[in-house]
Amino acid sequence: MVRRPAAARSGAEPLTGLPDGTRFAPPEAAAAREVALERLRDLYASWGYLPVEVPGLEHFDPSHPREAQAFKLTDNGSDVLALRSDFTPALARLVTVNYPGVAAGERRALRLRYAGTVWHAHHPELAGTREFTQVGIELVGVSNARADAEIIHLARESVRAVGLTPRIEVGNPAYVRALLEAADVPREHEPALADAIDRKDRADVLALIGALGLRGRAADAILRCPDLYGDEGLLDEARRLAPNAAARQAVDRLEGVLEEFEDASELLLDLGLARRLSYYTGVTFRAYTFDYGQPLLGGGRYDGALLPYAAGFSLGLERLLSAAPGARPEALGPQVLTLDDPAARLLRAAGIAVARAVASDPGGAEREARAERIPYLLVDGTLRSVAEGGASEARRLELQALLAGNGGRR
Amino acid sequence: MTRANGAPLVLALPKGRVLEEALAALRSAGLRLALSDDDRALRHDGPDATVLVMRNADVPTYVELGVADAGVVGRDVLLEHGSRLYAPVDLGFAACRLSLIRPEGQSGHIRRVASKYPRVAAEYLRRLGSPAEVVALSGNVELACLSGLADAVVDVVQTGATLRSNGLVEVDVIAESSARLVVNRAALKLKSHVLRPLIEALRDLSGR
Repeated sequence: MVRRPAAARSGAEPLTGLPDGTRFAPPEAAAAREVALERLRDLYASWGYLPVEVPGLEHFDPSHPREAQAFKLTDNGSDVLALRSDFTPALARLVTVNYPGVAAGERRALRLRYAGTVWHAHHPELAGTREFTQVGIELVGVSNARADAEIIHLARESVRAVGLTPRIEVGNPAYVRALLEAADVPREHEPALADAIDRKDRADVLALIGALGLRGRAADAILRCPDLYGDEGLLDEARRLAPNAAARQAVDRLEGVLEEFEDASELLLDLGLARRLSYYTGVTFRAYTFDYGQPLLGGGRYDGALLPYAAGFSLGLERLLSAAPGARPEALGPQVLTLDDPAARLLRAAGIAVARAVASDPGGAEREARAERIPYLLVDGTLRSVAEGGASEARRLELQALLAGNGGRR
Repeated sequence: MTRANGAPLVLALPKGRVLEEALAALRSAGLRLALSDDDRALRHDGPDATVLVMRNADVPTYVELGVADAGVVGRDVLLEHGSRLYAPVDLGFAACRLSLIRPEGQSGHIRRVASKYPRVAAEYLRRLGSPAEVVALSGNVELACLSGLADAVVDVVQTGATLRSNGLVEVDVIAESSARLVVNRAALKLKSHVLRPLIEALRDLSGR
């Protein structure tokens, strides 16, 4: 905590005091975030995803999936509002209002993308942030293996977009759900058993199977499914273990998704995935990268949960960038300091960042360029190198050529 | 987050008695580990793994953040930590119970429970519908009962000898515990070529 200066008014934080779990992004960090956001936006746009925006203020909803995390406020009057804690429910409402046909079950591919801030009132385990940036896509109105594969492919490419090597863990919780049904697990015991399966806790799974008196083929499959992770080879075993048609269909769907990939070597299968079993109805996935112990993004199919047919994923920009410290913009700040406005226009039109000198004389401008480490100084149509700014003669000539009007032409 | 070294695995192990048994199990499973004789060393680089030695309550944090790929820790600590780590092997040793303990002869309403496991204690009381408050302590919780700070404690019980000599009785078993192999979620998938054989070997050894 920052100690409050004695002169500060009581109740007022000093200027540097931030609420717990929030942070500044100085230019280096903000530029890195911007570069990552642009790359992700370009990726999703190039696949035909349309931008949408949803309000940061929502009505507080006790049935919201992240209700416990809600930052609450009171509206004028007595309505309780909440800061947006997740994009997916807000997007589902947007679809309901703007595409009522799709919300009613019309089969039509609706591709949406978003990026923005979300707020969580409590710190998640092991993380210090309460305000972060969520970026993601939703593919609404369709449900088949081709749609599942498209989402997984874009999740994989999102990781690559920031220069990381992706590995995507893919499962289908419909498999575990089918096993629990086949074994007649009482509804109130499903969450505990699904949780033990998801944690691959063999001892807990065994104890619960014993306590619930589960027997037969379904019980065998329940005990075995946490270890059903690896490559395509495990699909046959999963099918052999399947006690009912629903379990076989879950395996078939996963196989159908794999067949959509030219190269599925970056996908790691796991039929023991049983996270949020009541929400995710179909294929789910998480992205990892090497030497980073936490998932970079997660998503899946949630048909029937918020919309009849929908799948998507969201990533936390802060998490993604903390795994990719190398994803920095190449040059930060202006390349040229100018006293020549018409010439500067030519450079700016070519995409070069040019700052206007604060000083009005060449000597003052040169001192300014040195102090600010700007590599080139533009005076009377001529570029001069500034050693302190890391100038190179080759680059100077390139920029000078732009001023001569033949830049970019061969 | 810089990894410890180029060893294929980083393991988080708790100091104390469990360390010896954990090392023995991991070695029997075929891992070549180097442990220096210096008791104060916290990090030991071996041919097959780097071993980090820490307080047992810290093991889940190291594994969850992926600083260690895997670790050994009691189920009691996992329950208190509330983590969703993979726990694929029950190693069997360090067996104990997490129990509700009261002074002998007392049976009225419990008003205050002291524990090194405040989360487990609160969850247990909530399940019972008890309004008792929970006080978090960091050691010698029996003293809380004997001094009147609390009228019950939630703590680990191994043989029960300490309880008996202090006039305390184990009233209810909340959870059974033993040492578990815990594995980071990303590591199990990305390093399955090393971790999967280790898991199989440890399961064979513990017969579970």
